[in-house]
Amino acid sequence: MLTVPDVALAPLLPILIVLAGALSSTLLGFWLPRRTLTFVNLVALVLSGAAMVTLWNSGESAFAGGLRADNAALLLGLTILVGSALTLLVSLDTAYRARVSFPEFDAMLMYAVTGCLLIAFSGDLIVMLIGLEIMSLSGYVLATLQQSRRAEEAGLKYFLLGAVGSATLIYGIAFLYGATGSLSYAGIAERASGLTPANLGILVAGALLLLAGFGFKVALAPFHQWTPDVYGGAPTSVSLFLSTVVKVAAFAGLLRVFGGALADAPGWQPVLQVLTAATLIVGNLAALFQTNFKRMLAYSAVAHTGFLALTLLGQPDLGGAALSYYLLVYTFMTAAALAIVAALQRGEEGMEISDLRGLYHRHPAYAVALAVCLASLAGLPPFAGFFGKYLAFQAAFQNGYVGLSILAALSSVAALVYYLRPGMLLFMPDRTPAREYAHGQRPATTLALAVCLVGVTVLGILPNLWYGWGANPDIWRVLAGR
Amino acid sequence: MIHLFIFLPLLGSLLMGLFPRQWRDEVAVAVSLLTLGLGVALWASGGTGLFSVPWVEALGITYSVQLSGVSLVLALVTAFMTFVAVLYGRQRVENPAVMLALVLSMETGLLGIFAARDLVLFYVFFEDALLPALLMLAMFGGPSRMRALVKFAAYTLLGSLMMLLSIIGVKWLGGSPTFALADLLQHPVTGPAQTWLYLGFLAAMAVKLPLWPMHAWLPDFHEQNHASGVPDVMGTLYKVGGYGLFTFALPLFPDASLELRPILMGLAAFTALYAAWIAFRQTDWKRLLAYAGLSHMGFVALGVFSMNETAVIGAMYLLAFQNLYTGALFLGVGMLQERVGSLDTRVGGVMTQAGALGGLTMALWFASIAVPGMAGFVGEFSVLLGTYQVSPWLAFVAGLTTIAAAAYALNAFQTTFWGGRPDGAVKVRDLRGAEWPVLALPLAAALFFGVYSAPALNLIQPAVRGVLSAIGGN
Repeated sequence: MLTVPDVALAPLLPILIVLAGALSSTLLGFWLPRRTLTFVNLVALVLSGAAMVTLWNSGESAFAGGLRADNAALLLGLTILVGSALTLLVSLDTAYRARVSFPEFDAMLMYAVTGCLLIAFSGDLIVMLIGLEIMSLSGYVLATLQQSRRAEEAGLKYFLLGAVGSATLIYGIAFLYGATGSLSYAGIAERASGLTPANLGILVAGALLLLAGFGFKVALAPFHQWTPDVYGGAPTSVSLFLSTVVKVAAFAGLLRVFGGALADAPGWQPVLQVLTAATLIVGNLAALFQTNFKRMLAYSAVAHTGFLALTLLGQPDLGGAALSYYLLVYTFMTAAALAIVAALQRGEEGMEISDLRGLYHRHPAYAVALAVCLASLAGLPPFAGFFGKYLAFQAAFQNGYVGLSILAALSSVAALVYYLRPGMLLFMPDRTPAREYAHGQRPATTLALAVCLVGVTVLGILPNLWYGWGANPDIWRVLAGR
Repeated sequence: MIHLFIFLPLLGSLLMGLFPRQWRDEVAVAVSLLTLGLGVALWASGGTGLFSVPWVEALGITYSVQLSGVSLVLALVTAFMTFVAVLYGRQRVENPAVMLALVLSMETGLLGIFAARDLVLFYVFFEDALLPALLMLAMFGGPSRMRALVKFAAYTLLGSLMMLLSIIGVKWLGGSPTFALADLLQHPVTGPAQTWLYLGFLAAMAVKLPLWPMHAWLPDFHEQNHASGVPDVMGTLYKVGGYGLFTFALPLFPDASLELRPILMGLAAFTALYAAWIAFRQTDWKRLLAYAGLSHMGFVALGVFSMNETAVIGAMYLLAFQNLYTGALFLGVGMLQERVGSLDTRVGGVMTQAGALGGLTMALWFASIAVPGMAGFVGEFSVLLGTYQVSPWLAFVAGLTTIAAAAYALNAFQTTFWGGRPDGAVKVRDLRGAEWPVLALPLAAALFFGVYSAPALNLIQPAVRGVLSAIGGN
């Protein structure tokens, strides 16, 4: 006897709108120029966001809980949309120069966003996996889209390592299913507490495999090695997308699985603790020794993964709120910094840190904007990065990880040095000729930067504007649909 | 009014850009003067009560500010010296608008530090004062500023991040609903946890003070700053460590302060003597002044750590008025550099051609080495007097500093200002125009408060008594 699946359109709507954008880019690309499609997609993102806002507090679900539009999903989903919109805006100005200005770029991007949203909205492991694969496959294509050896190398590396990550993840899912007999987060959470010792071992093994798989996606050390090469080698607008949107989505998955389904399962927390510590150390120290600004930003993305991972330890009602705030702020800061690189770089390999010297005297607005981003990335108030870091520290500290918080604070000092050096070089006097690409109109990039700067400053002075939404602990207690 | 007092300088620095280029300096002077006026008005009305509203309600962070007692004195001195620095900066620095904007935005950070009565707010202002300081160094600094900059930032941030963790810990372990000082005091942390939290707090304050061995950033920072000394004035005001210890650390961690008192007092006394000794060997005026300031700060720390009423009052007095004469000396060094083109202490004979500069500098040095009748004396003497009641030997060690101070000050002054002017040296012109009030106003203030200390003491004494009686110090 077949039962009709419980299909509700309302919680699916935000995803379907984005998917419609992707499909229209695929089809209309034969007739319409790329810029038109980009505007269509921007509209789709805005509509999707509006759909999410109307779903707030509704707690709707579809497919018998396989897809859940709870508040956690909406907060993370909105962050994903913001990052995607910023990517599209930046690509309006720079895609042509980067030789990726064709409709397929937009189509792939929108498919990836669809996958990201699926992860954030997932209520069971299969939906999560489908989302992850859509996101990853589109990501591989995006990274290789530019016809250059560097991009091809980056894409291939991303593909090979990403495939290993996916395989590990799928293996982990199989283990979890074997241990609990369920694929839904709620089912796993329910059965994880009363397992026989033999099953418990399988559960722990599955959890660790999942952790490793996600580790690849979010660039936790030691699974981070692809990051600098891929972020550095891909076209800058793609790096922007990969280091913000994709990371947000992967963290959404981590939160769903480890904060929800496996919240009470033993074994994974000490391992995550070690991985976090390693990420903090490796990311911050490696960034310290970079000479290329874009690569430095790539390593800084790794370092921020460490801070973000701090929020996953312990109780999700503290950590979830911190994570949702930090991810939005992180998206603003990183997107803005990479947008400036994309606007000013002469080639896709970005710019050297020394090229930034005296930028203030050539492009004062860009220099000030970049300085604000760097200050925020370093966690200096009154910019939002401060509260992001503060919340991460607080979550770890109050969950009892005092040693790890101290390590995070110490590694922040290294972070300060590598953000400070370019930040200060910007303002130093300089007599050598300019080393950035000086031509062209960049209205869309300027708009994106303005959005980011307003976000970073306003959220820094009034964090409640966003944090107030996520601060309610109830949101994060129902991660697994309980 | 208190909010206007705190944020007016920042507002002014942001609005400066709207004015035509040739008016920007005047705007800066006007804003700094207006801020000072507001401060005096606050003082005349007897300070302000506590103003507290929730800021980030979900996190228990409040916007709590109050200016009274010690914080009012320090804020007034800050506003006064900012005005003096702006007055000098506008005629000394090339294209001064940016520098003056940074000076003003830093003033907001400093006033905020003194006004904050919420730990997270304090942290925010603490860091905010850092950004303009870094930018001043980056934009106007000397040739090897990058090294100084990184050193300065790394030390400061290391300390303040540890403090941030302590702040989180104080609220969480004590179970206070907010970060407001009043709430935290009602939910104290006890036992060994208090000592650890105190150490975290101390990390930040020891860097800022600075206390040996966390002082290494200070001489480089001053040496590489713009020669005019304007950023240095703000840098000397930057020594908020003593204030932070007094206002936050002592009341929040009374047991730990008592427990660690001998070690910390020893470190402070050593810092004072060590810095004075190093200062003796300096041939660069700015490094010399940096070490002299470090030595004074050792005194401040000694007073605060002793938890003795007289000593703490002296420390706060010294902390407030040290800014006057050390700041003015930095500006005087800037004038010297403008005239002879170097910061070396061995140029010789400047007095013969620039008598007023030499005379005022000497008078300021007298204030700095605590000659009776100057403000520095009241502070240093009280610190020694109070410390003696707690630990006579440390008072003796610190007392040696005054001898060393006389030696380094007179030595440097003599080689620069007296003796013969070398053959072929440039002609040195004397003070003129705005340079007169720039040096004379701080000197007058130092003299006034050296002779008549009641106005300041009336503010400091009750505040110190309040803190010490709450924690049961002796």
